[in-house]
Amino acid sequence: MSNTTVVQTRRRSISDIDLRAVAPFVALAVLFGFGAMVNPNFLGLDNLTNVVTRSAFIAIIAVGATFVISAGGLDLSVGSMSAFVAGTMILFLNSGAVSGDTGMIATAMLLALATGALCGLANGLITTLGRIEPFIVTLGTMGIFRALTIYLAEGGSIAIKSQELRAAYRPIYFSDVLGVPIPVIMILVVAALGAFILYRTRFGRHVTAVGSNEEVARYSGISVNRVRTLTYVIQGVCVAIAVLIYVPRLGAATATTGLLWELQAITAVVIGGTALRGGVGRIWGTICGALILELVGNIMVLSDLVSEYLIGAVQGSIIIIAMLIQRSLGRR
Amino acid sequence: MSEIPPPSPVDPPAAKTLLETEGISKSFGPVEVLRDIGLRLAPGEVHAIIGENGAGKSTLMKILSGHLAPSKGTLKVNGEQITFTGPVDAEERGIVLVHQEILLAPDLTVAQNIYLGRELRKGIVLDERAMAEGAYRAVLDLGADIDPATVVNRLSIAQRQLVQIARALLVPHQIVIFDEPTASLTPVETKALLKVISAIKAKNAAILYISHRLPEVKTIADRVTVLRDGNLVGTYEAADLEPMDMARLMVGRDVSKLYPERAGAKAGETVLEVENMNVPGFARNAGFSLKHGEILGFAGLIGAGRTELLEGVLGLRPAQGTVRLNGNPVHFKDARQSMQAGIVYLSEDRKGKGLLLGQNLKINLTLAGLDKFVRGILIDRKREDRALDEAIRDFDIRTGNRDLLAGQLSGGNQQKLLLAKMMLLGPKIVVIDEPTRGIDIGTKEQIYKFITGLAAEGKSVIVISSEMPELIGVCDRIIVMRNGEIAGEVSGEHMTEAEIVVLATGATKREAALVAETA
Amino acid sequence: MKSMLMGLAAFALASAATAVQAQERQVNMAVSIPAADHGWTGGVVYHAERAKKTLEARYPGLKITVKTSPDGATQANALEDLTAQGIDALVTLPHNSDELTDPIRQVKEKGVFVTVVDRALSDPTIQDLYVAGNNPELGRVAGEYIKKELGGKGDIVVIRGLPIVIDEERQKGFDEGIKGSDIKVLDRQFGNWSRDDAFKVMQDYLAKYKKIDAVWCQDDDMAVGVLEAIQQADRTDIKFVVGGAGMKEMIKRVADGDSMIPVDVLYPPAMIATAMELTAGNFYDQVPVRGSYILDATLVTKENAQEFYFPDSPF
Repeated sequence: MSNTTVVQTRRRSISDIDLRAVAPFVALAVLFGFGAMVNPNFLGLDNLTNVVTRSAFIAIIAVGATFVISAGGLDLSVGSMSAFVAGTMILFLNSGAVSGDTGMIATAMLLALATGALCGLANGLITTLGRIEPFIVTLGTMGIFRALTIYLAEGGSIAIKSQELRAAYRPIYFSDVLGVPIPVIMILVVAALGAFILYRTRFGRHVTAVGSNEEVARYSGISVNRVRTLTYVIQGVCVAIAVLIYVPRLGAATATTGLLWELQAITAVVIGGTALRGGVGRIWGTICGALILELVGNIMVLSDLVSEYLIGAVQGSIIIIAMLIQRSLGRR
Repeated sequence: MSEIPPPSPVDPPAAKTLLETEGISKSFGPVEVLRDIGLRLAPGEVHAIIGENGAGKSTLMKILSGHLAPSKGTLKVNGEQITFTGPVDAEERGIVLVHQEILLAPDLTVAQNIYLGRELRKGIVLDERAMAEGAYRAVLDLGADIDPATVVNRLSIAQRQLVQIARALLVPHQIVIFDEPTASLTPVETKALLKVISAIKAKNAAILYISHRLPEVKTIADRVTVLRDGNLVGTYEAADLEPMDMARLMVGRDVSKLYPERAGAKAGETVLEVENMNVPGFARNAGFSLKHGEILGFAGLIGAGRTELLEGVLGLRPAQGTVRLNGNPVHFKDARQSMQAGIVYLSEDRKGKGLLLGQNLKINLTLAGLDKFVRGILIDRKREDRALDEAIRDFDIRTGNRDLLAGQLSGGNQQKLLLAKMMLLGPKIVVIDEPTRGIDIGTKEQIYKFITGLAAEGKSVIVISSEMPELIGVCDRIIVMRNGEIAGEVSGEHMTEAEIVVLATGATKREAALVAETA
Repeated sequence: MKSMLMGLAAFALASAATAVQAQERQVNMAVSIPAADHGWTGGVVYHAERAKKTLEARYPGLKITVKTSPDGATQANALEDLTAQGIDALVTLPHNSDELTDPIRQVKEKGVFVTVVDRALSDPTIQDLYVAGNNPELGRVAGEYIKKELGGKGDIVVIRGLPIVIDEERQKGFDEGIKGSDIKVLDRQFGNWSRDDAFKVMQDYLAKYKKIDAVWCQDDDMAVGVLEAIQQADRTDIKFVVGGAGMKEMIKRVADGDSMIPVDVLYPPAMIATAMELTAGNFYDQVPVRGSYILDATLVTKENAQEFYFPDSPF
């Protein structure tokens, strides 16, 4: 008697798993298998650490994008915003406004977070108060942030001038805690925080509601504009966090910093199972999507399968196949 | 309790049968939703199908129009046994379905919609003129005069419905299925539609007619088939059945007391006063007051500005005017403010403004009253679960699975969920817009009981409705609106359909009596 | 490069000696160049602006308009707009040879003196003057240096730019440079002339190959990412990295004797200034300038690095 009950509950819990939420992880696992087949070095600790570490920028930005997209918005400006935030941060580091390397770096970090939040706030307010499609607004700010960066760099690059400062800041990207690189820890912290906000707080619930149906949200007493604007602010802060670990890597912002990151972030979000039309947000899926994107590039370089001219085509195909897997699992 | 009349003995003779079903059953997984249905349809008859929500009407219609395949049973058209491959196949055999929802492309014109997917062409170029003429004639046949070049989103709901019917009738047809065509029509518009149906009938086509409005069924139908819980109760001559008999057959018990007894409404203190309310484009200089424990009705034609007036008062759309709550002037800027003041509004548009159809029941239930479920910054999920259990119990939400999405519930259960959602806020004033639209009679009864129960608890209720019997049945007073203004107020023995229609239309008493008769 | 510089010096002398009224002649010169989308083009914009200032000061009648465009199509539009304003000379660094040949031909047909920089047009008869760095030579010099330093034997990896003509030319030159040796190119991937992408590609190379003797990455911007990846991996097998173009940071490392960056191969963005100077000379100094000016792909070593170090340039 008790046996059958156990069996029944177990069966039920398996069929209850939302396959669509699991799909990105399945795709990731398949990709791991494929990578291991292509090149045994792929599974080396160094290689995997490298790949996960450098996926940090896109992963962290994509967590913000998950909020924006879940609420029914879109932000195309994140790539340029990264360059702009990185540029202003380095200029501040070069200004010598604060004495002492640690204090200087900490102040610059706070400044970067504030700059990111303000950039996001601008996107949010123009979208909601101006009642303009987010696609257009963020396309506009994308150009603005990019141009401002190039202007600040006077056409070249903005690099940290002081070698001591550079050396002091460098470990933020390159060192680790108990073998886990700091950027990876950042991914986990940002994603956990994002998941907490999206799934466990009132604000997160409101984000989902606004993305599902703006009118229902309004009739339920939710301030739609406030919720939307805050998602853009979150996006801005995520961009700034990504910049905090981007700057120590190469110590410079250039005209190519963050180029096309917006598309990678959106792709990661969609691969992760978040609906572009809003209403469904999957933070861990997004992280998975960012890893998939980075792994595909890595596997391509490690393998000798295709000519370097065709890598883009293979990457595109793998992304489409990942989406097809997800669709077919979702349909059951 | 009157005696249940016997099922009609005379099915049409086989030679004259257009459509015949035998032993039709349909199962979704282990659940059988339709069992052993036999039906015969003769040319030139209007055959009504009635039943509560979930009785299987929609499933049966979908089988007859080729949208679903039956699990068991046979289907004969003109004596020939058929298995439909899909709705297009059914259409080619002359069976057309007029959907309940308006399925038109809102940005295209009337003519473009009517010919969508079957455009007329001259060579490779669209023959716009022929389509405009054809569309105009098709609409004219239905007794309406609509410019075929009008863009659909500029038409009224009733006009859109006519366009949709015209589109369906454009294919050669012998059987026309109407799925609740009058659900969103005013009495006048309903009357016009019934005329159209008579016209189709006169051309010797058969009509299958699904409706919740039993008086209307009585007026138009020749025969009535009743379904209950997926079973066939029987087919009856419409002449033998009164609306109350139909209701009893549908529910399977006595429903003579659809509207609960009110224990003599006590006139309490005035809680809400509205003066000189202007909602740009919808309402002008409107004023009314609401008392403690009172049920106040708002009647009027569709487009009279009832919904918009109340939305203006509650801050859901821009409006100017004076609003006093318990004597204190207030001005609500959005729903949050009016909710905090203890007033909730349940939209007539449950699917568009009331519930998140793509989210589960729990998220919907707690959305407006989420503050009550927040501990620190966390949402207390266990308390949410408990609240859902209570709501399912208290509001009798019938769902097999708590993890369903709101969009998967029937209309009646959606309304109950919406009620539960707003009641979580503990309101003092409840505004319900079209509380029973698209809801079966059994659920209607529950909702009426609930509304009167609120008043008995000392809450004040405003009911906006296009169904006059329901306003008369539950309200203490009824305010009638016409063209954005308050046309008058009826109470006591003046609460009759005829008086309401006079105020709502500005018609003479005699004309009004005629309209009220059909409604 | 040295010979070129001397030529320029002679030129300046000649211009100083020219009659005064000739200098007051009104000449409108338009400069159409790509927007600063990476370090090198940033350098081009910088040098164009700088040359505008010095040339306008030198020739009071000369008016120079510098216009940057983010892509080929925009540049074609910009060319039309500039021509409509009435110009006597056009100095242009086209985004893309094939796409812009016809738009530039139309400018030429209006009787404008056309100077093309860096990227040759599909129809060379259009240009009056062609000023360019030497792409095949840049590859060849780098290849020969690597061949010599490794003693004709070793494993190397290559990071390419973007799949366009310049990249192909450099690639071919490089292959010629290492021809006849036992140097094995383990891998070639695109780094899109971006530091970030080069960093990733280099990380992947390091995971894939346990022994790499040298890296050729064809552009100094990418060398920054490569060096960072090597440093992170703590790999000591890589003896040196060869970049190209002459970015000031890299020149400085060469001058400082950095063992990882022993040399650099010049491909200076200042060539735009050379072109502008020569074009102005056509109008104000009676010196023939028509023809092709190919700048050397000079190998910068610790010994001559100071000559090529411009600390104020953005590149």
